Amino acid sequence: MEWKGSGNNDLEAAVSMGIEKFILSPFVNFVPQPFASYIVQAHGFASTIAKTVMDTLCMNNYTGGFIDTNYMVPLPASKDTVFMYPSPQIAKGMLKACRLFQKQKGLQKRRKRPGRKTPASRMRRAWKHPLVGCALPCSQRYKTRQSMATACGYLRKASMKSGGYATKADGLGAEIDITGYTPDRIRNFSIIAHIDHGKSTLADRLLETTGVITKSGKNKQVLDKLKVERERGITVKAQSASMFCEHDGRKYLVNLIDTPGHVDFSYEVSRSLAACQGTILLVDAAQGIQAQTVANFYLAFGEGLAVIPMLNKVDLPTAEPDRAALQIESAFEIDAANIVHLSAKTGLGIDRVLPSVIERIPAPSGSIDAPFKALLFDTWYDKYVGVVCLMAIKDGAVRRGDRVVSMHSGTRYEVMEVGIMHPEQRPATQLQVGQVGYVVCNMKSVAEAHVGDTFHKDKFPVVPLPGFAPAKSMVFAGVFPLDAGEFDKLNESIQKLTLNDSSVAVHKETSAALGQGWRLGFLGTLHMDVFRQRLEEEYDASVLVTAPTVPYRVQYKDGTSKYIQTPADFPTAIEIQDKVDAVMEPFVLATLIFPEQYLGAMLELCTMHRGDIHTHTYLDESRVMLKCRMPTAEMVTDFYDQLKSRSQGFASFDYEDNGYNESDLVKMEVLLNGEAVDALAAVMHRDNVATVGRTMAKRLKDVIRRQLFDIIIQTAANGKVVARETVKQLRKNVTAKCYGGDISRKMKLLNKQKEGKKRMKKIGRVELPQEAFLSVMTGSKE
Amino acid sequence: MAPARTPLSLYVHWPYCSFLCRFCAFSKARVPASGVDHALVTRALLAELRTSLAPHSKDKELRSIYFGGGTPSLAQPAHVAQIIEQASRLVPLAANAEITLESNPTSAETNKMAAFKAAGITRYSIGIQTLDDGVLQRMGRLHSGAEALAAANRAASLFPGHVSLDMMFGFESQTVDQWQRELETVLAHANGHLSLYQLTVEPGTPLFRDIRAQRVKRNPDDTLALMYETAVALCRSRGLAHYEVSNYAASPESQSAHNIGYWQGRQWIGIGPSAHSRFIDPASGTCLRTVCIPDIQRWVRSCLEHGHGTAKTETVDDAEARQEAVVFGLRMLDGLSNSRFMRTGCVSSGALSLAEYLRVDQVQRYVRDGYLRSSGSLDHLAPTERGLQVIDSILLDILP
Repeated sequence: MEWKGSGNNDLEAAVSMGIEKFILSPFVNFVPQPFASYIVQAHGFASTIAKTVMDTLCMNNYTGGFIDTNYMVPLPASKDTVFMYPSPQIAKGMLKACRLFQKQKGLQKRRKRPGRKTPASRMRRAWKHPLVGCALPCSQRYKTRQSMATACGYLRKASMKSGGYATKADGLGAEIDITGYTPDRIRNFSIIAHIDHGKSTLADRLLETTGVITKSGKNKQVLDKLKVERERGITVKAQSASMFCEHDGRKYLVNLIDTPGHVDFSYEVSRSLAACQGTILLVDAAQGIQAQTVANFYLAFGEGLAVIPMLNKVDLPTAEPDRAALQIESAFEIDAANIVHLSAKTGLGIDRVLPSVIERIPAPSGSIDAPFKALLFDTWYDKYVGVVCLMAIKDGAVRRGDRVVSMHSGTRYEVMEVGIMHPEQRPATQLQVGQVGYVVCNMKSVAEAHVGDTFHKDKFPVVPLPGFAPAKSMVFAGVFPLDAGEFDKLNESIQKLTLNDSSVAVHKETSAALGQGWRLGFLGTLHMDVFRQRLEEEYDASVLVTAPTVPYRVQYKDGTSKYIQTPADFPTAIEIQDKVDAVMEPFVLATLIFPEQYLGAMLELCTMHRGDIHTHTYLDESRVMLKCRMPTAEMVTDFYDQLKSRSQGFASFDYEDNGYNESDLVKMEVLLNGEAVDALAAVMHRDNVATVGRTMAKRLKDVIRRQLFDIIIQTAANGKVVARETVKQLRKNVTAKCYGGDISRKMKLLNKQKEGKKRMKKIGRVELPQEAFLSVMTGSKE
Repeated sequence: MAPARTPLSLYVHWPYCSFLCRFCAFSKARVPASGVDHALVTRALLAELRTSLAPHSKDKELRSIYFGGGTPSLAQPAHVAQIIEQASRLVPLAANAEITLESNPTSAETNKMAAFKAAGITRYSIGIQTLDDGVLQRMGRLHSGAEALAAANRAASLFPGHVSLDMMFGFESQTVDQWQRELETVLAHANGHLSLYQLTVEPGTPLFRDIRAQRVKRNPDDTLALMYETAVALCRSRGLAHYEVSNYAASPESQSAHNIGYWQGRQWIGIGPSAHSRFIDPASGTCLRTVCIPDIQRWVRSCLEHGHGTAKTETVDDAEARQEAVVFGLRMLDGLSNSRFMRTGCVSSGALSLAEYLRVDQVQRYVRDGYLRSSGSLDHLAPTERGLQVIDSILLDILP
């Protein structure tokens, strides 16, 4: 193996100059030899490069990865080992580390010199953060995983011998033994709450009191690992954590499964609930019951879980715990007499939470002697080990080396590692009945891991558990790269992101206006927004997202039906006349909870959005719960924003699917100089065409810049023009003064304009700025 | 016979003004209360002149000198003469070299006109801007329309056929009719050359701040376009040919040779605070662009200590040179010939023809639509009147 270019020299130069960041062009030339195994070992600065190499390998369908450790890294000797080093000293250190490893493995005679510092202790000082990676071609994946696992094992052993030098945070402790925790010593619970009622904060406090994380005052939403989760203060991805605690002199293993709070992610909530026996229903004592409290309660109730109501934020001056308790009683008909009052922020009442959980939530059922049976309820993709599965063990036990089978696909897997989330992955010797933990078993893609699947041991089949229906996309949107040249990069980013979010449906799409892109299905508009934000933040992608549409259904006269995910697929007027029996649109049943003074405004809002009011009930003397059936399409545009503004933020909202209804739908097209722009088309109810058509034409007029010819903007439905605007021809565009001193400025401006022009989308000769697409997306009714 | 010398232009920046116009974005300073130390500024200019012209003495020939600013008519004629004399000693002055001086039409400066002629000035440019005394006052200019016309008349007698009058249009509340009447008056006093600029609101000027704060309204774009079209038509009817976006001349001899140099990519040396230069370095053969220190005091100090006030030197690569050639060539109605493009000053890699460089499909479309004129297979490319008016949009399409 060799580096093309002068990577190492450049590197050394950079290091000697103290440059911390270094863009590595030589790696463009890096060509891994197929079917060879590489181990890349590097330290400090070089580790960045090692990472780059590994990423290159992984991108090229080689698998492998890194292990970060606080200890030197002994590895099985390989003739293809690549050492990347910023200085000769480190290289020397590397070799020593390898020799040390060989000694430990008894591969070499140990020459003991008492009183002398061991190479290990020197290494510990020298290498604060060595980094190891290892990659193999796909064909040898099985072996790779094994060697990775072996390497992991070595690491852990090494760190144990180093006297716990590797910290807990690295998850590199020894395998822990939790076999003593039989079902009666286990409680599995979740916390359900409306967004912002303090669920994640309560989780932080529980983890602190049980010593899973240290009390530092810095623990803010520990389980919310994504940047977007912390920024927006929401949980998107369910997480779980195991805690050990003592109650009445007995030790318990308590597993908390954190759930997302936002309505878009209720699918994740129901998955998480299936792994629990009980749940804490957390209600903000100041705000009282909110729409999601209701929705989540019924989810838990439907699963037959024990529900423990608790009031949070009782320390707030505006808190009205008695009133909130009354609401809980009247809404859910559960006894709220002994309700736990707590303040997750200050820690008040936290000591009562786990005892209530242990006392009031039943222990998981199942038997250690029965054959192994587990429910897969969540997965995520780990760059280095592949898919990590979160499983609730229903019967029996599983340990490393076991062969397990997916009932869904019949595929066999070898278990490489089991453990609990503490709160990071912490390997355990065995997972057994009643416990909840992770299993790493050689799964290469999330597609293989069907959430809701039942696993059993090879040759010991069991009766499968009831699974879950797969997540259903509520909204679809086109996603396109801003710069067509970035398609491949974006493709990769989307692939990586969907590895961890299987609820996003991905289809390729080609638009005449925007080029190649994707049509993605999301659980809701927040989900869509979060996905876009993650794309931009985690993958540095700049994307154009078209207006969201809902899955309309077209029923043909011949009995077939088709789901419309993009306006482009919508049948033409003639087709509708000749072939279509009915055009259906999806509906939701929305639940709104708000103070009674907003009743008028809320009723008006629902009617405006073609809503059909079912009931409105008073939860107490001043809070109203309104149920209303409305088209999903109305909900995805600006309903939520309007709800918040019209109720001054006091109304909360949740929804569930409510089937399809026939509807008078038409496709509205936008024409620029007579040419239809597919990416701006939208399907909508006939009643909305006139207003939406007019506002859209006006907005486009505002964002389209004048060109050398008149631009006629038309919005049309069924071939009939609804609105028309003209952007007049540009009459003059020339710099008045241009002499010697103006030249550089003029050229700079010109190049900036050229860049701007590149980002424009061309429809015929008309240049359409990005804002055109954004303007159509946001709020269609004003 | 000695080989032909390469043409070179010289720009001299005189940084002081007696008043500051609200629209002006050039580097300038008001004359200090204690007065300008003329001798000191001249010494610095001479020092910089020597350093920057010396390397060009062997193979170049000075085709034009231009005194700009600032207000160079505030300089002392004797010092102007000294600079011209020193320059011609360093690089030979071509026989018919054009030496222009910019001036303001205050009576004091008008009185110096003859002395400037004696100092060697051959072409006189007067910044009239507008004849509307109200606008002149609002824009911070300390002269009247009548004074301006008097200055124009005086210049016409001293520099027959070589007088340029600068006008601006598009001031707040100016109507197309007002502009037309004003232009008619100026045309009656014109002698060879007119520069008619649309008022451009440059960031950093007091006018820009006024507009941003909505103290001053901007004329609508279409009104400005109409004023421009009016100017083109009116000048043509009076025998002044439109030859560049903002410039009109009675005959080719009256055109500004110095400014044409910029548009045709000629090499030039600029001296004085903030002055730019663009030339092929005789030592290395690479094309350089330099900018002088903008601050007057620091520039003077640097010139006296180091012999030059250059703050920044950049190389102009082939891509930039070609782009500049097209962008500036197409500012003139005469356009750009392929042979000139292929000889583009700085290009060091192999020559590229216009047809190879430009996006030919776009060029052809603009030719078809009547925005550009071209002969043969792009032997020559020029904008039409209609094309020149929107040339900035066209350039974005035809440049690679």
